[in-house]
Amino acid sequence: MNEILFSNQVIIYLLSESLLFVLLFIAFVVSIKIVIKWDFDSFSQKQFRLEKEAYLVSTITIFLFIIKFILLIYFVFTIDSLSILIAGAMCGAGVVTANEYGTYLLLFKLIIIATLILWFYLNSYDTHTKNYLHMKKKSLLFIAIFISIIFELFLDFQYFTNIDTHQPVSCCSTLFGQLEGANPLPFGLTIPLLLTLFYLLYFLTILTLKTNYRVLYIVSNLLFLYLAYYAVVYFFGTYIYQLPTHKCPFCMLQSDYFYIGYIIWGSLFLGTFIGISDALSSIWTTRKYIKNSRLVISMLTLFVVLSSIYVIIYYFRNGVWL
Amino acid sequence: MIRVENLSKSFYHQQDESKILIDINLHIKRGECIILKGISGSGKTTLLSIIAGLDRPSKGKVLIDDEPISKLPDIFASKIRAKKIGMIFQHFNLFENLSVYENVTVPLIPSGLPLDDIYRAVDKSLKVANIYHKRSLVASRLSGGEKQRCAIARALVADPDIIVCDEPTANLDSQNSILFIETIKELHLMGKTIVIATHDPLFENLNFKSRIVPMFDGKIDE
Repeated sequence: MNEILFSNQVIIYLLSESLLFVLLFIAFVVSIKIVIKWDFDSFSQKQFRLEKEAYLVSTITIFLFIIKFILLIYFVFTIDSLSILIAGAMCGAGVVTANEYGTYLLLFKLIIIATLILWFYLNSYDTHTKNYLHMKKKSLLFIAIFISIIFELFLDFQYFTNIDTHQPVSCCSTLFGQLEGANPLPFGLTIPLLLTLFYLLYFLTILTLKTNYRVLYIVSNLLFLYLAYYAVVYFFGTYIYQLPTHKCPFCMLQSDYFYIGYIIWGSLFLGTFIGISDALSSIWTTRKYIKNSRLVISMLTLFVVLSSIYVIIYYFRNGVWL
Repeated sequence: MIRVENLSKSFYHQQDESKILIDINLHIKRGECIILKGISGSGKTTLLSIIAGLDRPSKGKVLIDDEPISKLPDIFASKIRAKKIGMIFQHFNLFENLSVYENVTVPLIPSGLPLDDIYRAVDKSLKVANIYHKRSLVASRLSGGEKQRCAIARALVADPDIIVCDEPTANLDSQNSILFIETIKELHLMGKTIVIATHDPLFENLNFKSRIVPMFDGKIDE
């Protein structure tokens, strides 16, 4: 057993995830019953009991979302704090890549949060129909979430049990630096082109949201999320760190940078996840409009303004660009 | 108006099932006054709660104007309750630290009506319940009969079609009970559908048209 597994943060994290899983299993069993036996037109005892149990699933899922959201932040905080135990790691970047499971685990956690937000929208539409029109869809989605969480739990244990603290790892500059002049940006983009696309996609997202072109809205949201990640790591981040060679998505989560990374990444992920879930669920439930446009606009605008403001402040203070 | 079909309600304690209501069938016409009569534990209050959408059955259905209130999601059941049903409870359930006027205003707060309309409705129901003269008094300073009249005003303020009363005279003396029955008579004449759960013998010989539905051991005993 390694010292990582017995660090306080990891014990708390894994214990919370495991306890949550027990609760989820109850909801999973009920969801299967709903998929098989749900018949709203029936006034039988079984159906009434199923309706009561459906409330239980909703309550558990709402609880799950809150805890998962907190645990995601805690996970990021944990891996960041573990960097002192691993040779060569200076921040979460080094810890995440300490073995082959870390990156997938982090991605999986983000996908689960996104799926839970989608479930929320579906649930909201469902409870606004007189006959729980989307109950089976909602339960199927919950089953998919449950299966994802089993996989996530497996990755959790695999990840934390397979970190070798004596094996030096690569960290920010190696992982995200431009090695031998290679371009790390996608589609062969240059920084000016990346920034142009970043701002264009932001406006396109807002525009499609306002005009209610839902498929275009989903696509522009996804593209914005993808390019925004690169824009933050390879451009905006350098202004946060005030160092042109420092390219890292994790260091900005540290106290040295006033934990600004939590707000930057939080607003990006929540803004795009809420936007995509909102649009997807409105297509799935054949509703004609997107629900929470103000929330999405606020989140994405916060993200864009916060990222950009570091560049502007740097320029006004120093009179040069990095 | 109200149709109860094959309604059953059970409570479970560990593995033991307690049957509170067994296969109840009841049809209440618009404007009818129904007295659910029975001893304590006969299931009157449970039936009333299910009719009012406060509780859900274990089996069967309750339709109010063809809407299955016993099956609807909370958001819809609440709307029906707020619009169509006024409730009067044995213990009045007033906000003791609010005035009579404020107590009666409370049900209309979520309605989104303009304030003038709310005040007009509150004044009207206070007058119908004959408690207008005590409107600025705090509820805790009212007598039992006055509290009951305040509860009636509150039940009437949204102008519901159905008035549901659970043991309304259990905490009243005989004089106030008779006054309550007089108010019920007025509501009946106004065309309201009234459902009263009681074991008070005063309701046995009412001087207006009513139907007594006897209940015993969770069943309608006819």
